[in-house]
Amino acid sequence: MIGYRAGNPVRRGFRKDVTMQYTTLRPGDAAYPPMLAAIGDPPAPLYVTGEPSVLSAPCIAIVGTRKASPYGAWCAYELGKRAASYGITVVSGMASGIDTHAHRGALDGGGRTVAVLGSGLDVCYPESNRKLYETIPERGAILSELPLGQKPLKRTFPARNRIISGLSYGVVVVEAALKSGSLITADHAVRQGRDVLAVPGNLNQVFSYGCNKLIRDGAMILTSFDDILDLFDIERRDAVKEASMTVALNREETKIWRILRDEGELTVDALAMRAAMNPGDLAAVLTYMEIRGIVHTDFGRVFLSV
Amino acid sequence: MYAKIISATLKGIEGIPVRVETDLSAGLPAFLLTGLPSTSIREAGERIHRAIANSGYSFPEKKITVNLSPANQRKEGTQFDLPIALGILAADGKIPREMMRGCAFLGELSLNGRVGPIRGALPLAAGLRKKGVRRIWLPEGNAGEVSLLTDIEIHPVRSLAELAEELRSGVVSETVRTDAPAENGADGTIPDFGDVRGQETAKRAFEVAAAGNHPILLSGPPGSGKTMMVRCLPGILPPLTADEQLEVTMLYSVAGELRDGGGFVRSRPFREPHHTVPLTALIGGGVSPRPGEISLAHKGVLFLDEFPEYDRHVLEALREPLESKRIVLTRLTDTVAYPADFLLAAACNPCPCGFFGDPEIGCTCTSGEIRRYRSRLSGPIVDRIDLQINVSRVKYRDLAGREESAPRTSSEMRKTVLRAVEIQKSRYAGRKTKRNAQLTAREIKQFCRPTAEGEELLENAYSRLHLSARAYGKILKVARTVADIENVETIDARHIAEAIRYRTE
Repeated sequence: MIGYRAGNPVRRGFRKDVTMQYTTLRPGDAAYPPMLAAIGDPPAPLYVTGEPSVLSAPCIAIVGTRKASPYGAWCAYELGKRAASYGITVVSGMASGIDTHAHRGALDGGGRTVAVLGSGLDVCYPESNRKLYETIPERGAILSELPLGQKPLKRTFPARNRIISGLSYGVVVVEAALKSGSLITADHAVRQGRDVLAVPGNLNQVFSYGCNKLIRDGAMILTSFDDILDLFDIERRDAVKEASMTVALNREETKIWRILRDEGELTVDALAMRAAMNPGDLAAVLTYMEIRGIVHTDFGRVFLSV
Repeated sequence: MYAKIISATLKGIEGIPVRVETDLSAGLPAFLLTGLPSTSIREAGERIHRAIANSGYSFPEKKITVNLSPANQRKEGTQFDLPIALGILAADGKIPREMMRGCAFLGELSLNGRVGPIRGALPLAAGLRKKGVRRIWLPEGNAGEVSLLTDIEIHPVRSLAELAEELRSGVVSETVRTDAPAENGADGTIPDFGDVRGQETAKRAFEVAAAGNHPILLSGPPGSGKTMMVRCLPGILPPLTADEQLEVTMLYSVAGELRDGGGFVRSRPFREPHHTVPLTALIGGGVSPRPGEISLAHKGVLFLDEFPEYDRHVLEALREPLESKRIVLTRLTDTVAYPADFLLAAACNPCPCGFFGDPEIGCTCTSGEIRRYRSRLSGPIVDRIDLQINVSRVKYRDLAGREESAPRTSSEMRKTVLRAVEIQKSRYAGRKTKRNAQLTAREIKQFCRPTAEGEELLENAYSRLHLSARAYGKILKVARTVADIENVETIDARHIAEAIRYRTE
């Protein structure tokens, strides 16, 4: 029997007047996600707010460190957006860092996204993601197996991770340290028979270690955003052609584009030196390029985003 | 037997003339002091008693009444020792009264009769001069600072005995030579931007900050040169004008911060209060108010390193002075205002350990710690910081083997700044606003109107880069400065584009 229950009034934070509509699902219910039912220890019950039907659509998990680098943040965002554009639901954990950017990418791409919480359904954690917490149910779903009111604890997260991988065809790890929740999620995925993809990184960067280790251990390497399509038998579009066709660059922009293509991520100063431009002029050019989505900058560093 | 001597007391940085009236009458020997004296003045009786005795005069065995007039003004400071002592000697007939007419006296006495330096000599002397006093005797130790004043005779005093002798004989000591205010010479202690390598972007931001007087916040890991660059900042500011030197010296004089020898302040102040600074030390105050760090940074740089570590209420207190360029302190007995027109420079790490966002050194903070740290970087003060930039550690491999163009030096940057300041001076002539950073919302509409292309860029940036509404005004003000640096009146898209970069979201 479908466990639709009238939503109980729930105290959320200090806002006593807010009540929350939610659904309780159990394995065997028609609305219970089939992918999740297939794992060894499916959550029962599973509390869902939002649109439970998205759980039956093809899903991909995008996970990674809370302390995302500018590159990792960009990568997660673009992956989320790309997946959304193909109608794939993005699953993540609504933590800060990679998770946040993956959710945002999916929402900005007009797609659907699912957040699996490590706390009760009515507890928004971290508080800085309040906006996501409020938006996601409109365009997807938030789920948790924990009772309402449950505070997030260290032990609640690893168990939550098995739901993230369990819902998905595959798990993409964007940036992860050697000991991290993301690797636990990847572990669950392997045990559940799901694919693991890892975004490769530089050898000298802390948050590449986890991903590179996964690749060494046999995970699929993500060489372009469209690699995720292989999990779903979706035809690739010619993304490279698309990018170079839509953007027209002037002389200075071309120069900067070439340098970044050849050298990868650079500090703004290193870029100024290589381009032999004064900082004021370079700053102006970078703004133009960033607005058009050609470059991405953060923490004083620049890299190409096409 | 009655004598009247002119002296002065401080109210804020203003010197107010005070008449010291002394009366000797028959009766049991006593020393009465009236006219709202502070504790330090109340204690003067004992000092004066011994100082007179030790200067070779007998202390009159009479009832001595001293009144400080106007009696409703609170008096503060040790400068009343000397005038009270002279009043007693004059009332006792030991020194002639005629010599002292139209003159003023300031000085603290020690028990042996020597005259020591006082706090606030410059504003006291300036206040007396304003009221028509043309001849002042004050401690030798304060001669340096008052040499800024022209059109007045200043006589240095070493001891009560010497002064009494001068007044008796009519042969007075030489006056203090008045110095012309000197150029703001880099006194060799300000480091040069030319020694900062591989940070040209941040240096450009400093140039903009100095040109438009925009507050600046640097964020970056330890070792990225934040502190070094901020220390270079005074070196690219315009020289202090004569009026500014006088005003700054007055503040230092009132705070008792002038170095021995009492020279006046010639170069832009640089203040660096530690992040444990209490509120009264930062904004000024105390039972008898004194200027705080923000006033000592008047016309100079106030550097707050480890910005998020300061108490929130301490930072909040900067709001008013950042806008009104002065601080008003209200005390039970008095209200004083100190000028506080400083350029705010702040620095912080990206996280408590400092390496969040650094690709090579792993950050060891938890995400909660990072969030808490960064949440302290929001609020009304940070909203008022126009320029917010990231600096990275400079890697040797970025510098090595590059055909590096010579790093910009402070003197080159200062030239640019000076020109931009001149432009602003003429544009805002007759207004309360002097520099671009002070522009009000209405003035932004009037003076920072970008070209159509610039407007379009701003709109694009607004949606694509998720700018906040607050950022809008800041970007226009900074774009105004960038255009001024290039000596063009119209703000075009390029200026807007550069200004957009000086923000971190």
